[in-house]
This record gives sequence, structure tokens and C-alpha cells, in this order.
Amino acid sequence: MAQLDFQRVERRFPVKRGLLDIVARRDRIYLHAVRGVDLRVSPGDILGIVGESGCGKSTLARIGVGLQQSDGGQVVFDGRPLAGPDPAGRLQMVFQDPYSSLNPRMTIGAQLEEVVAHYFPKLPRARRAARVAEILAEVSLDPETALKFPHALSGGQRQRVSIARALCPDPEILVADEPVSALDASVQAQIINLLKRLNREKGLTIIFISHDMNVVRYLCDRVAVMYLGEIVELQDSQDLFGDPRHPYTRALIAAVPDVRHAQSLAEPITGEIPDPFAIPRGCRFATRCPFAETACQNPQEMLPLGRAGGVRCWKAIPSD
Amino acid sequence: MSLLSIHDLVAEFDSPSGIARAVDGVSFDVQPGEIFGIVGESGCGKSATCRAILRLFGGAPARIAGGRILLDGVGDLAALHERQLAQVRGRDVAFIFQDPLTALNPTMKIGRQITEVIRRHQNITRAKARAAALQLLRDVHITSPERRLDSYPHELSGGLRQRVVIAMALALRPRLIIADEPTTALDVTVQDQILRLLKERRDRLGTSIILITHDLGVVSQICDRMAVMYAGRVVETGPVREVLDSPSHPYTQALLAALPGQVGREQALTPIEGAPPSLISPPPGCRFAPRCKLAQPDCAIGPPPPLHARDGVSSGHVDACILNEVAHGAA
Repeated sequence: MAQLDFQRVERRFPVKRGLLDIVARRDRIYLHAVRGVDLRVSPGDILGIVGESGCGKSTLARIGVGLQQSDGGQVVFDGRPLAGPDPAGRLQMVFQDPYSSLNPRMTIGAQLEEVVAHYFPKLPRARRAARVAEILAEVSLDPETALKFPHALSGGQRQRVSIARALCPDPEILVADEPVSALDASVQAQIINLLKRLNREKGLTIIFISHDMNVVRYLCDRVAVMYLGEIVELQDSQDLFGDPRHPYTRALIAAVPDVRHAQSLAEPITGEIPDPFAIPRGCRFATRCPFAETACQNPQEMLPLGRAGGVRCWKAIPSD
Repeated sequence: MSLLSIHDLVAEFDSPSGIARAVDGVSFDVQPGEIFGIVGESGCGKSATCRAILRLFGGAPARIAGGRILLDGVGDLAALHERQLAQVRGRDVAFIFQDPLTALNPTMKIGRQITEVIRRHQNITRAKARAAALQLLRDVHITSPERRLDSYPHELSGGLRQRVVIAMALALRPRLIIADEPTTALDVTVQDQILRLLKERRDRLGTSIILITHDLGVVSQICDRMAVMYAGRVVETGPVREVLDSPSHPYTQALLAALPGQVGREQALTPIEGAPPSLISPPPGCRFAPRCKLAQPDCAIGPPPPLHARDGVSSGHVDACILNEVAHGAA
């Protein structure tokens, strides 16, 4: 099984300049969407990447499948630096909105057959339909679904179809970017069960990007928490939720409303994510952190924690 | 005395394939100082119910087709003329939308938008209105409010915008605020702040709030009582802790069971199979019956079952499942 390895991955976007900026020869300003991310995805794992809007989790996901290039560092897949989408389709991605990622004018069967034909050109035409039927069964869709158009399907069925399409090349790693965020809870459960089954039965490695802590806690084996482009904590799921170390992780977990209890007792964190153009120099969370001190104005390194985990906070050193 | 009392409300929407009854016989009461949650999945009629209260259909071909909306001291809102209802909006009942950007005018500074609301209903000077606007921004914990008065909506973050919208809703000190998914577009840490803000407002001034959400966790966090809607009807209502801790309608039970966090990691989640029915020609009997694991032949007969009390307990916890009625009748 091939391994995916993010090594000090950076991604910055130049900010559009006005004429005045150009005339005055002001320096280009960059927005750092992803900054120094080190992450190793072990085969067979479900890795969760959580964080709030703008934290860079989607950009990281796109870099991970080769849809976007990094500006610094590299992504190593199967021992080689990734220079674009894998020609064999071993890295696949599923998006939040299945409707916009399906062709509205082709039947589901025709779309899936096209993908199968692309990755398996030697497969006889007559066998393609059979392969599509197998894949549809794998995502628990009726064979008749192949004859339908995307608009005739429900949101949950459409998301199954986009997962089916990602499964066509028989991938090793599936990157799912907020795949259940647009779905109602009753349907969400179907997709989560499906992803878990694909992982357990086929050994599919999954990178699951989400802002929903409850879903991540249930589904993922390991979890990386991102804040303003950096990973601030990485731990096994059980440890992360049982004993979160970074103040941001704690705040994120405490802010999730729980159906079993009334209001949480934890003090809420104040403020919002800072303007990405005015990021604090040291710890990026310091402006909102209830424990911030002078020493937090220094840049924070990732400190090792547990089994190949880490935390980017000098005050969160393990007690043992 | 209830602040708001809704009886058998029916709201219809015209669609190319027929008339959809998005709200079909909804009744509930909201007490003074109460936070009342309405939950359900997309298309269940929770938003349509609340828009019908103020007839805020946003140009959609929709109308109230039956029922009464009694607001204490005002009368039946369903019977008011549009001009009379315009006086009620903002003054007695304010509405907060999910997306704060659509509720704000992008070409107008925040301060002007708030003072306009105040001056439309109160005859005060511009300077006094501005002072009032400043205080409103302070009330919703916006830092450096003077600067914010001169900002345009696009200059503010999502959380700040929603605070501004709440400040505008509070401007005329309404007795009731209807908030339609006010935190759905926000990050959890900001959602937490906004929910605390709404609750604080209720605690300080006794403002009643109707909170519409798809998130049972949000209801659990700040609501006193709640209603669960399915396919245009209320299927269960009662005190929040009772409904969430011991749900009695099979739909509420299924909705809770589908959430991650209810079972261990090695157990599979329990989705609800199938899809909600068409609101143009809903099935007879209980509308959840086609998807209900407990359904009996009797469930799919006759008019939709009404809400009825459970076990003779007078806590106001009622549901619309005939199986519970049978169990109750036999006991």
C-alpha cells in the first residue's frame, strides 16, 4: 500500500494588487493558506482534518490529491514527489456538493462507464457496465440508478454516486472534503456508514475533512486540528477527544453543542479568527487564547506527543 | 397567557406541479420569556411556519390558507392587512435570517441601517438614533462600536454581521424574536458566542425567542421547549430535556439515533431509510409511516393523527403517534 506523506507543505496565494500598489512598488502581499504542514497518512487509517472556515483544510486536501501545487515542501506519494493527479487514479477526491461535480446531462451509468474506460482502457466495452453495476452495489445503490440522471436522485444518493465515481479507478486513498455537510442528519448517517465500511472491508485509506467534531470523533482514527494554515494538534482520535492539549482544540470541542446536556460549562473563547492578512507573529491562536502569555509571542514548534502525534503549544507539554 | 398562540396554521406554496402545503395544521404556543426551538430536516416546514407568522414569503407564490396566529395584545396576525402587519414587524416581532449578508444592505453603512430602523418607528432626532445604535452594538458585545457604525457589511466577518443583524432585530425592543437558523453559516466557536448572546438577551429582558434549526445540539443548549416537525406537521412537542432524553415519537427517536455520538465507534449509525413524502400529495395517515420501523397497517389510514398527551402526564410533552395513543388507552 502506498503511503502519502506531507513534508513541510506550504501554499500561499498572492493578493490582488491595485494600480496604486504597483506604481508605488509596494511588495506583493501573500495569504498563507497552508504553512509548514507535516503529516503522514498511514495506509488503512481514517485521518480527520478539522478546523473552522479558512483554516486551510480544503487547500491541504487539494494539494494532497495533486489538484493544486504546493509552493514549498512536497507531498510524497508511493516514494515519489507528487507532481499532479495520479495517472493511475490511486488518489481520489469527493467534494461537498455532489450535484456540481456530476454531469447533469449524462446518466449515472454513462458517467461511471466513462471513468472506468479512462482508467481501464483494456477492459472490453461489454464488461464496463458490469463493473459499474459492481461499484454501484458497493455504495448500496440499486442497479437501476445507472439509468437515471443526477437530478432524479436525492442528495444522499448523489453523494453515493460521487463516491462510486471515486471508487472506479480502485483507489488506495480517498480524500473526502466535507462530504456530509450539505446532508440532513438522517442521510448523513448513511454516508458515514458507507465510508466506514469501505475502510474496514476494502482497507481504503480515507482523509476526511470536516468542521463537524461529532462526525470526526465517530469516524476517524487519527485527527489533525488546523488553525490559520497550521496543524496545531495531531493525535489518535480517542486521545484528542479524551485529552485535548492545545487550547484551540479544547475550545473547539467545548463549543460543540451536545444533545445530551444543556449549556456547556466551559468558558467560551472570545473573538473570531483573525484577518488572514494580520496574523499574529508568534502563536497564531494567542489573540483568542485564555492562557496566552508573553512567551506565546514566539513562533511555536510542533512538540511531539503520544504515538506520532504533536501539539503546537509550549504550555501543553504532557504531564508524564 | 401565551405571547404567541398558533392554531391549525396552513401555508401553501404554488409550484409547477401543484400546490404544496408546506405547513399543514401546525399549532403551538410560545410563553413570555421562553426560548422555543423548532427542529426538523430540510423541507419539513419549520422555516415556512415562521415566515408565515410575519408573512415574509420573500416574493414566493405563497399564502396563509387557514388557521390563526394570535399575538398577545395585537390579535390574529393572519387576519391583519399588509399595512397593519408592517407595523408589527420589527416593533413586536423581529426576524433574524440565516445569512446576515442578505439581511443587510451592502451599499449602506451599518450605522445608517440601524438608525433607519429606529427612526421608522420612533420620532427621534438623528443624533439620538445614532446614540441608540451605538448602545445596541454594545449590547451585542461588538468591540469598538463607534468604528463599526461607519463600516459597510462586507468589511465585517460573518460573526460580526450576525451580531449587527441581531442588534437591528433588538432595536425596537420586540417581545418576540424569530431566528431562522441564525448560526448555521457560522463556525462553532462563533455559534457558541451568538447562542449565548441570544440567551443573555432573554435572561435580561424577557424577550421570547423562536429558534429554528436542524441541529438538535443547538436546541439542547439554549431552548426551554421544542417542537419537532416532519412533512409540514408537528409530530412531537414538549420541554427540551424530556423530548431529547425520552423522545416518544418514532421520528424523533430515529432522528436522535442517526446522530454520531449516540453509539460507540464500532457500532454502525442508524440512518432513516427512504425520503420525506411529497407535500403536494402526502400519503394518508401518519406521514412518517412509510419510513417508520414500527409502522402498523392502521398508521397509513385516515387524516394525519393529531398531537395527544402521553401517559396522562401534564408536562405538555405530546406526540402524534397513534401507537402511543393505543398504549395509553390500554393502560
